[in-house]
Amino acid sequence: MSVKYTPVQWNPNKWIYDAVMLAAVAAFLWLFLYVSPEALDHERAVDPQIHNARAFGACAFMMLTVILCIGPAARLDKRFLPLLYNRRHFGVMTTFVAITHSGYILNWYFNFSSSDKYVGLLYANSSFGQIAGFPFELFGIFALICLMILAATSHDFWLKFLTPPVWKRLHYLIYAAYFSVAAHISLGILQEQQNHVFTVMFMAGAAAVIVLHLAAWWSERNDPVSKDGAWVKVGPASSFREGFAKIKRLANGDRVAIFLMEGQLSAIANACAHQNGPLGEGKIIDCLVTCPWHGFQYDVRSGRSPAPFTEMVPTYRLRLVGDMVEVHPDANPPGTYVDPVPLPGAATEPTPEGEPA
Amino acid sequence: MSEKPFFVGYLPAPGPLRTFLLSACVLLIAGLAGAGFLMGAAQDDPGPGAFRFDYGRQTVVGVVEMTPYPVIHVVEGNDRIKPGDSFMMTAGGKSGVDGRAMPLNGQLAQVSGVVLERGDLYMMQVRGGRNGLQAAEGEAPEIAVEPQGRWQLTGEICDGKCLAGAMRPGRGLAHKACANLCLLGDVPPIFVSSQPVLGEEFLLVTGPGGTRLPREAYDFVAQYITAEGELTRRGDLLVWEIDTDTIELSE
Repeated sequence: MSVKYTPVQWNPNKWIYDAVMLAAVAAFLWLFLYVSPEALDHERAVDPQIHNARAFGACAFMMLTVILCIGPAARLDKRFLPLLYNRRHFGVMTTFVAITHSGYILNWYFNFSSSDKYVGLLYANSSFGQIAGFPFELFGIFALICLMILAATSHDFWLKFLTPPVWKRLHYLIYAAYFSVAAHISLGILQEQQNHVFTVMFMAGAAAVIVLHLAAWWSERNDPVSKDGAWVKVGPASSFREGFAKIKRLANGDRVAIFLMEGQLSAIANACAHQNGPLGEGKIIDCLVTCPWHGFQYDVRSGRSPAPFTEMVPTYRLRLVGDMVEVHPDANPPGTYVDPVPLPGAATEPTPEGEPA
Repeated sequence: MSEKPFFVGYLPAPGPLRTFLLSACVLLIAGLAGAGFLMGAAQDDPGPGAFRFDYGRQTVVGVVEMTPYPVIHVVEGNDRIKPGDSFMMTAGGKSGVDGRAMPLNGQLAQVSGVVLERGDLYMMQVRGGRNGLQAAEGEAPEIAVEPQGRWQLTGEICDGKCLAGAMRPGRGLAHKACANLCLLGDVPPIFVSSQPVLGEEFLLVTGPGGTRLPREAYDFVAQYITAEGELTRRGDLLVWEIDTDTIELSE
């Protein structure tokens, strides 16, 4: 959390995250570029430019695959949530790796001709009416443009400027990029491979992305949806756990996180104002709801971040009918204070002032 | 209910989560490293083609023939290139030498450059300007032209230069756009036959009636095709005049 924009708000976990990421990418490239040629018994080596292009292209695909696996893995097992924490750096690095791949391709296959290499890239192959021989480079260009847009808008400034819902939708471009990369590979290098190890690894990577997303969707498909209208049942009062939330999906698709803090219930929107992270999967630390993605914090009664921070999320009204906790589906404007609902028999204490993160 | 460790980015990771995260990190690094090695070691052999800089600069005299792609039929060779050999010529980069060869069509010329070699496929990248290609003194002998009839062949159209070793690999669909750029730049196209044709695997491919390779054929570059056309032996070189109406994709 920050009240001003800085290029990167470094902390030890981010350093570790980036170091691991760099080590993994460096290991991939080093083994591909310098070790694997020793295992090849070719009479003449693959051109260094093509070898480099393949290494960086394959690396970008693997990085994208890992990035897309983190999200559903974290939905299935919360222990993967820390891998989400600095995923933007992973994405930006993937963009640079992909740009390097395109640079080698452009400066080799499309160079040395009388026409400009960028023009050549667009007109050299115009076999649009066929699958085999289709100008697969176009899929690569589209994917690269998507990745560059995502990298350029990855900073919190853009998140704030575009608003989290718009930013989030924009960043779904990652799926278009991945699909495009898959088409780029399928119609390109896979069409001429005699050794199918790469084919198998490509299919395994793509299958992992698909299966994990389907599994995450499957695990959440039974999430009960409330009916449209007033006051929605959430659950019996005894089902709440101190410091944690129950999440209720409303008829309009929004989710509400109902927290029990010091014997009193309060409800806020489930989507964090930062990146729409699932606040209901967080916990209360120092009397503040803490987002499991990036640690943004909110006062559960008002939906406001503690001063000097300015983030706010909508709040909801609650009531207790017998033992049943109910929430009203109409959201209050972000930052609206709502009196918490005390649970009968629960001990209530004055809320201490939360420490800024 | 058990207390699950909760990670907050700007706080130290909870103890119970550290082992899991450490395992995930090791798995990520090892997984990507393994993938890098396997993918790198799974690359196909790009073939034996190469620029033969080790041969040094080659200079020979021969008869220039526009087939319509420029070919030299060697009359005075050297230690490596013998009289009677025929090979295609190209310029640096993705460019042909049509402009320089056309005025010398049917005449003796001195050719100088570096050889590209892939098996029995020879091509010469001639030097720039007159140093690479210039008229030579003497009477140009008649070049033998032997029609071989109509042939149905199966194989792949490539640009001759990349195939001969300017790029490794210099064929296949991933290389299609590059091959098209070379062909558009007047680099001679080659047909790589799946079966030897009169003892040759590589044939110069042209359009019918000694025309340039038709643009319709560009869609089939780098693909495995079957087509028919008239075959002619010109000097030491087989020239196949592909009939684009007969092109079919092969399995």
